[in-house]
Amino acid sequence: MKKFVLFLFTLSFLNLYSQSELLIPRDAVTVFSINNVSLLQKISMDELVQYDFMEEVHQELFDGSTAEKTLKDSGIDFNQRLNVFYGKSDNSELSGFTFGVSNTKNLFEVFDDFEELQSKYSNVKIYGSFFNNLVIKNNTALLIRIEPSSELIDAQTDSIWYSRGNSYPYGYDPYDDDEFSGEIIFEEEVFDEEDSLISPESNDFPIANEDPTEKNYYELRDSVQLELQKGLLTNLLDELLIENANLVSSDAIFKDQLTHPCEGTFYLDNSRSLSQTNSLWYFQTVMPSLYKDIKELYTGNIILGDLFLKEQSIEFLVEARYGEKLGSIYQEMNDSKFDKNITKYIHKGNSAYFTYNVNMRKAYEKAYEVLMPILSSEKNSDIAMNVLAFELLNELVNKDALFETYRGSMFGTFNGIKKINTKKIEFYYDEETFEYGEKETEATEDMPVFTIGFSIGRGDIPEIILKNLGRVTSKFEKHDDYWVFKNAILDAAPLYMINKNDLFIFTNDEDLAINHSDGYGSNSLPKKIVKELKKEGFMNGYIDIAGTLNRFPSDLLNERRTEMINSLKGKSGKMYLESSKTTNKSTNFKMTYEFRGDENSGKHLLDLVNTIYIFSK
Amino acid sequence: MNKILFFSISLLLLLPSCIEIIDDLTIHNDGSGTFKYTINLSASKIKVNSILALDSLDGKKVPSMAEIKAKANSFAANLKSQPGISNVTMSINDVDLIIKLSFDFNSVLNFKNGLKAAIISIGNSKQVDELNQNWLSWDGKVLKRDIPLLSLTISEQLKETDLDLLKTGSYTSICRFDRAIDKVERANTKINPNKTAAMLKVNTYDLQKNNSLLDNCIYLIPLKN
Repeated sequence: MKKFVLFLFTLSFLNLYSQSELLIPRDAVTVFSINNVSLLQKISMDELVQYDFMEEVHQELFDGSTAEKTLKDSGIDFNQRLNVFYGKSDNSELSGFTFGVSNTKNLFEVFDDFEELQSKYSNVKIYGSFFNNLVIKNNTALLIRIEPSSELIDAQTDSIWYSRGNSYPYGYDPYDDDEFSGEIIFEEEVFDEEDSLISPESNDFPIANEDPTEKNYYELRDSVQLELQKGLLTNLLDELLIENANLVSSDAIFKDQLTHPCEGTFYLDNSRSLSQTNSLWYFQTVMPSLYKDIKELYTGNIILGDLFLKEQSIEFLVEARYGEKLGSIYQEMNDSKFDKNITKYIHKGNSAYFTYNVNMRKAYEKAYEVLMPILSSEKNSDIAMNVLAFELLNELVNKDALFETYRGSMFGTFNGIKKINTKKIEFYYDEETFEYGEKETEATEDMPVFTIGFSIGRGDIPEIILKNLGRVTSKFEKHDDYWVFKNAILDAAPLYMINKNDLFIFTNDEDLAINHSDGYGSNSLPKKIVKELKKEGFMNGYIDIAGTLNRFPSDLLNERRTEMINSLKGKSGKMYLESSKTTNKSTNFKMTYEFRGDENSGKHLLDLVNTIYIFSK
Repeated sequence: MNKILFFSISLLLLLPSCIEIIDDLTIHNDGSGTFKYTINLSASKIKVNSILALDSLDGKKVPSMAEIKAKANSFAANLKSQPGISNVTMSINDVDLIIKLSFDFNSVLNFKNGLKAAIISIGNSKQVDELNQNWLSWDGKVLKRDIPLLSLTISEQLKETDLDLLKTGSYTSICRFDRAIDKVERANTKINPNKTAAMLKVNTYDLQKNNSLLDNCIYLIPLKN
């Protein structure tokens, strides 16, 4: 499915304005739309098909039956906007994309697994494959996959299964008291060496019925799934094609977003995605009024993005909108004076850093003010006890000490790869006898060096903790300007803690701890950048791809992350993240990817998409 | 379980950048002897610990140190039960990452058979054929040893990037006898002053590229009647 969605995402870089967006279902929660005349002018399709993700697309879609064809031959109208969407409801999950069609014959040479189905809609043809459906209306198309939730399928299947007089389908029924009348004796579990805990043979499967004409449980479940799928698709198509109800007609914000003069737009309705979050089902079913209040809190929580491609950069402008109540918490949280001490500890040569500047005290006070009335109004004993605990803590805990110890602002840096001093055991040999013994010697190993620091107003509190830890174990050692926790990292390298200048810093950078515990002085971030950081919002970041990813020791990562890092290696570019001041309505973010070299911005963008693909596969 | 063993062997023997292996074989005139095997990963603690911290690597589950220890102990316990094998000790220093195995045998045949049975008991039975190889022979006058095929199979699965990591590692093979060595076939074998021990040290990368580097034939002076 990931590949499928990524394919759609990829295709979305290949289109222009049109009416294809009128086929986006209104249940779509996330939409990525691209109107990219400029992109098509800059990127050749031949280049496009060289990417890893295109190789997969060829394997998946072309099935070998259209060997040596490219997307050029796919019949897709690149003069229409292309929209990738995803949505999830309590009962179903849908994903797909809408696009223009320029040549139906060519399109079906690509989508060669689709067969035409009966259509009750005028001027609309419907096709189906094993997983997907393709709907073509005039010169626009909707490729969609809609899946009923497994909970819904199970509920329906169980209902039919038991109503037919069948017993529990998985062997022993724990709820059937009649099945075992005697004492249950648990035998010792014996595993054979060849057995695997994940071996499918060791799972319980429903026993097939002896009558081959009667469906067993899983056959019945497949039938139920298929029927539910058909029903969901019919409802969705009725909405789209008879009622003309789609996301554009039902959401003015999305409609407005599509008018933006940019290469691509992004839309995510968090308020709807919240209501479709499985983790909230408990609130939804057990505490419906609290759930309603939480939903209300999230009303208007929408993330909108515009993508601009420039000659030497890609800009992604994101606006995070909130409802008034939630916005008021964010506004208080982000209303924080920038801690200028932070910048002293960011070396001007650092290839990556971020700053995060928030006021936890104000955020807490506001959240208490907004959330406590909601929780207090809930008539539920568990919630009431939690409210009591919150209120008592609020009264009894020294909030001044707590929020001066953890103010909320922090920073992080990547200081490159450094040689870390470690100890190793070396074997030495007696030249007379070749007997050997062990001796401890100094060794060095490469390690990525990171620093993470927090603003603190009560440096005495961590000092109390460290002092006592130092009494418990000799691994904690106090030095003049720092503490060291020996072998803290991977049992091999020390972790340094600097508690100075209203900052508490963790680092494995020995140089920073020993030689720069008061900061890097004239080698810290230039004044110009510090000024910008002070002026901007709560979150800022910077990555020099060449200086960070090219130097990152990929053997410390798992295979997938290594592949991702490797796919970005060799590139030279810089990424900046900046945020605006937060109001009670929204926060704006701007991510800029600046690059050098002759390659155009679309090429760089696709490089990044390729990286995401490798990461997601 | 087999996968855990196979991965553990691969992980411990082949992935780390700086690995030191010592095999120390003592053979007495009557064919009995002692075998000691040591793997020292202490110079790669960060790398090994970072790998052990992963859930999986190259699509295979990374075993925990506890699983590796359990497997090693199971191997030692099985070895202990083999005929002609005694005084088996297995130790894993999980701080410095040093693994030591040592045991006595009453004949070279029992040594090989015992080792084979113990590997099969916890390992991959598909590799029995490779374990049947006659990698060590002793006729009372000449000791002939080749590199076991099983280790070649594992090393063949290494990627080029892994191979680079072996460049700083070493493999030392020591053979000790009750009487003096007459001659050795491998030219760079060091012989101690009283000629009762031979030591051959090679780079692990070179060994992977040329598996015969540790093959050797050691001739002893004849026993006096």
